Amino acid sequence: MPLLHELKLRFASDDDIFFQPDHILHIPVVFIGLTSLLDLIQTKERLTKDAFAKQGLAADDAGLLRQLGESIDTGDLRSAVTSLLSGKMIVFHKPSETFIAVEAASKPLTRSVEEPSDESVIHGPRSAFNEDIDTNLGMVKRQLNSDKLAVKSYAVGANSRTRINLLYLENQVEPALLTAIIGRFESNKELDVCNLQQLSRMLGLPSWAAISPYIRTELPQDTVHYLMRGKAVLLLDRFPCALVLPNDLWSMLAVQNDLNYPRLFTLSFRLLRLAGVLCHILAPGLYVAVVSVNPEILRIEMALTVAQSRLGVPYPALVETLILLFVLEMVMEASVRLPKSIGPTITMVGGIILGQAVVSAKLVSNLLIIILAAATIANFTISGFVNSISIRLFKYVILLLAAFYGILGLLSGMVLVCAYVSSVTTFGIPYAQLARKSRG
Amino acid sequence: MDKTLQVIVMCIVTHLGLMFFLFPSDVMETVDVGHWLPILVGYLLHFAFVALYTKGLAYYDRHDLIDIFLTGGRTIAVLLLLPLAVYFIMVNIITVRAYSEIITIVFLSNTPLWAIMALLLTIPTYIAMTGIESIFRTGMLLAILFLPIVLFVICVSFHNTDWHYLFPLLERDSFNFITERPFLKSLFIFTGSFLFLGFVRPTVTYNRRRILIASWILLPLVLLSVYIPLLTFGQDTASMLQFPFILAVDTIDITWLMFDRITGFFLLGMVTFVMLFVGLVMWATNRLIHRCMPRVRPEWITLMLGMVIFAASLFVRDWGSVHRLFWWNSIFRIYAFSVIPLATYLFGVMKARKLQVSP
Repeated sequence: MPLLHELKLRFASDDDIFFQPDHILHIPVVFIGLTSLLDLIQTKERLTKDAFAKQGLAADDAGLLRQLGESIDTGDLRSAVTSLLSGKMIVFHKPSETFIAVEAASKPLTRSVEEPSDESVIHGPRSAFNEDIDTNLGMVKRQLNSDKLAVKSYAVGANSRTRINLLYLENQVEPALLTAIIGRFESNKELDVCNLQQLSRMLGLPSWAAISPYIRTELPQDTVHYLMRGKAVLLLDRFPCALVLPNDLWSMLAVQNDLNYPRLFTLSFRLLRLAGVLCHILAPGLYVAVVSVNPEILRIEMALTVAQSRLGVPYPALVETLILLFVLEMVMEASVRLPKSIGPTITMVGGIILGQAVVSAKLVSNLLIIILAAATIANFTISGFVNSISIRLFKYVILLLAAFYGILGLLSGMVLVCAYVSSVTTFGIPYAQLARKSRG
Repeated sequence: MDKTLQVIVMCIVTHLGLMFFLFPSDVMETVDVGHWLPILVGYLLHFAFVALYTKGLAYYDRHDLIDIFLTGGRTIAVLLLLPLAVYFIMVNIITVRAYSEIITIVFLSNTPLWAIMALLLTIPTYIAMTGIESIFRTGMLLAILFLPIVLFVICVSFHNTDWHYLFPLLERDSFNFITERPFLKSLFIFTGSFLFLGFVRPTVTYNRRRILIASWILLPLVLLSVYIPLLTFGQDTASMLQFPFILAVDTIDITWLMFDRITGFFLLGMVTFVMLFVGLVMWATNRLIHRCMPRVRPEWITLMLGMVIFAASLFVRDWGSVHRLFWWNSIFRIYAFSVIPLATYLFGVMKARKLQVSP
């Protein structure tokens, strides 16, 4: 019995595996499976019922067992291992040397469909993706009832197999994009994909770009919207987001749920987000430029107020801004990291530091606190967490230029950011493509 | 892909960046009354040459200017394109140097000139390196961000105008200006920013007719750039000023704005457009040089070009030298403005004839 022996050898260091002699009806068999992935009692029950129903259909015992699942060749260790790892059970019939992989009742290792935790939705469809790739695919199919939806399935990785589904609408997707993605999947099948950096490497996307090549969304509604706009969607197993390729500038301003409101509201939401983007990248730079380089552009009353608020602050505006920004970034990072029960502490501590104490200690001006608080709030108006990180980075470029060149630096920083944003392309499709005509 | 809109926006934005600084004083030097006449003549010349140029280009599908001239042989191509390359490089030097000076005067009196020039060159160099399609997208983004500010300033600049200064509309012997130095200098705003159309053909397609129609948008803007200072100060005062339009905008006092000088924002909006212009011209120059040295990577050529322009700008000592350089460049400018479009047109016609004869 080479295969059984090989399996035992292969899983010698994995105590999770079981080889259990048992019977289906009257037939003596050995059940082989992984305890952590399947529910043996339920599976047995199901198998017995199934065998009972199919009793008359087969001539002999081995024939009956073959009716229950897929038979595996005795030499095919690879597919036996894959079946076991994907949660199937193997039934071994000793007299006829037959191996059959049967669907098993899986243990509940996936949470049920829940509300989105990272993208809240107001008055819109509220189910979000979870870690199970099949559930996610099902949710997309539920949302988009179309025979044009194509799904290509890949299992990649040499050490750990990861399932990836590629979804697109046949009549909408950019053909060049599709060929490029499929080509990369085919040629880099052996690369492990455990995180998005590895996925980017597999797809041959630049790894140092300041703008993410994907849009991430955990909402099936948004995913479908992107599909209909001709984008390709990747679903990764054990990853509770859909990855939309390629990213575009518009995704920073538009949320699909906007369209569930009257047009005027939609427009105002999007304008507000645009204002948020501009406020976040310009406000700190504007403060530094106005305080340290070009105070004359302000009205005299305004300039005096600004100067007054900085009375007693011992260091230059750039240092002051950088210190406070550093604290703010730390607060943001800490509140992501902290468990929900301790979260309020950071709010309180941060609030005290940033609110009163730092001003009364004359370490920073209170105007700066107002400006940075506004800028930070503005950052959260941007749709998509990853997009907001890009904007957070761009802010520093503009801040530094503004410290050297004042308002000129501020605006040339904007030119630089615009030029960078325009130069980013994913699979030849520009990030700053503002409009794309719908195909077909 | 059809990029007509992007091409139009690019043309308008780069023209906008150039027209509000030196142009008004040149026109006021040209004539004392009836300023619309030299502007109109300049504009019509521009329109005619753009029409010829695009017509000539249209005969060749997906060929750039270099390919077209190479059909006439290597020597002819070099003879035709060498002055163009010199013109482009000089335009960059002058623009960077002049705008740095303007920024120092209006804005950053304490910052050393070289630092401003370095900024005004670094960013265009980066823009030029990203390639033409990216330049067009940058143009669109900048237009979306800064055009509203610029249009707002243009609208409020009517604040202090006195319409009596509009008259007289014409006087006798009005056409004497055509051969005069200030008029030839004033033509510069029309020359720089349409020649790039000849280099974008391989990647970008556009609708010629719509571009020609859209170019009429420029006329009112050019008229405004001269007439706003004129209506604010009158010819006698305005002609004494170095940057009449900037000063006219400086006179505006809007109480409800928190900024004291909206000139700053206007000027800097313009500077962003100028950066784009310099980037565009650098890209076109890069194309010319790259054809001569196909082995060197285009990024390196752009980088070297940026350094050469920076070094050259350092050698221009004062505002007088800028003006002298500007005048020397007129020869190349008129060449680029007239000979290149005409040659392109002739090459196009010749090709069309050949096609007619051969089948």
